[in-house]
Amino acid sequence: MSKKLVVDSSILIVLSRRGALEQYLKQKKHEGYEILIPRAVARELIDEPRRLAVKIAGKSPALASRITQSIEAISRAIENDLVRVVTVYFRKYSRIMDNVRKQLSQLEAKPEHAVKKGDPELIVLIIQLYDKFNERIFVSTDDKGLLRALKSFSSRVDYEILES
Amino acid sequence: MSERTVSILKEVGNPNKARIIAHLTKHKGENAEDLGKHLGYPLPTVYKYLRELEVARVVRSEVKDKTRLYYPSDFKLEVSPRRLMEIFEEQSILNLYKNRFGDEGMTRLSEVAEKVNAGKMTYRQAASTLGITYYEFVSLLDETGAIQ
Repeated sequence: MSKKLVVDSSILIVLSRRGALEQYLKQKKHEGYEILIPRAVARELIDEPRRLAVKIAGKSPALASRITQSIEAISRAIENDLVRVVTVYFRKYSRIMDNVRKQLSQLEAKPEHAVKKGDPELIVLIIQLYDKFNERIFVSTDDKGLLRALKSFSSRVDYEILES
Repeated sequence: MSERTVSILKEVGNPNKARIIAHLTKHKGENAEDLGKHLGYPLPTVYKYLRELEVARVVRSEVKDKTRLYYPSDFKLEVSPRRLMEIFEEQSILNLYKNRFGDEGMTRLSEVAEKVNAGKMTYRQAASTLGITYYEFVSLLDETGAIQ
């Protein structure tokens, strides 16, 4: 069975901007990983940058085109099953989701409702996958704040940070 | 193309990585272990360098008989003061951010980037604090060299 690798958007954005996304994903697949992202992360990878590209297309067409190329690379990776979008079971994991939000809001002393969706979804997905497969889950992100929040759940989930 | 030029410059600016490219040009298809032995670099360092060189697309690899072999990719670099000026004046998310938020925004960006670096804030929290999208924030980190 393939090893589960949850990848944060930052890795996918940087690699797609550098034109190295497909090569990275194929290499990880070859190494036996299945790459997974939660739905909220998929939205911020495609919908938000698409809106940005449309907004700046008039004044900065070259930049808008580069953003569009990066979105297309990510969309292609999802369509070609190099990246699988997974739904997080909010109802089942509502208590954990609340705890994650609490942890994240403590980082920046912000109210829990101000915590952006992608962070808690990513952490809950890691826990959800661990519960389902009962095996170590691999995580790839450069985001130290996110890793700090994830660390507080280390007794709940067996995970390993994979260097990007 | 500008980002590619900058990333090539960054990679070949490291003499150890430049030596790897030079060595692979003469010994195409060598594996990481042999590279380490020939150049006298520890294996984890060789892997780290090769990964970074692959991301910058100055080295490519393929797997043959369960062994990953490395090859130099073809590239040509033209550097002159004018070319550097052109590269950095090209449209970027950083210039977009500067035009939108001015010097004050740049100060805020540097404060937020410091917190992010210390793990006191997630990328998403940082983007929300700056009033930009997550994509823009990650692109800013990439363009300023804060992400390897």
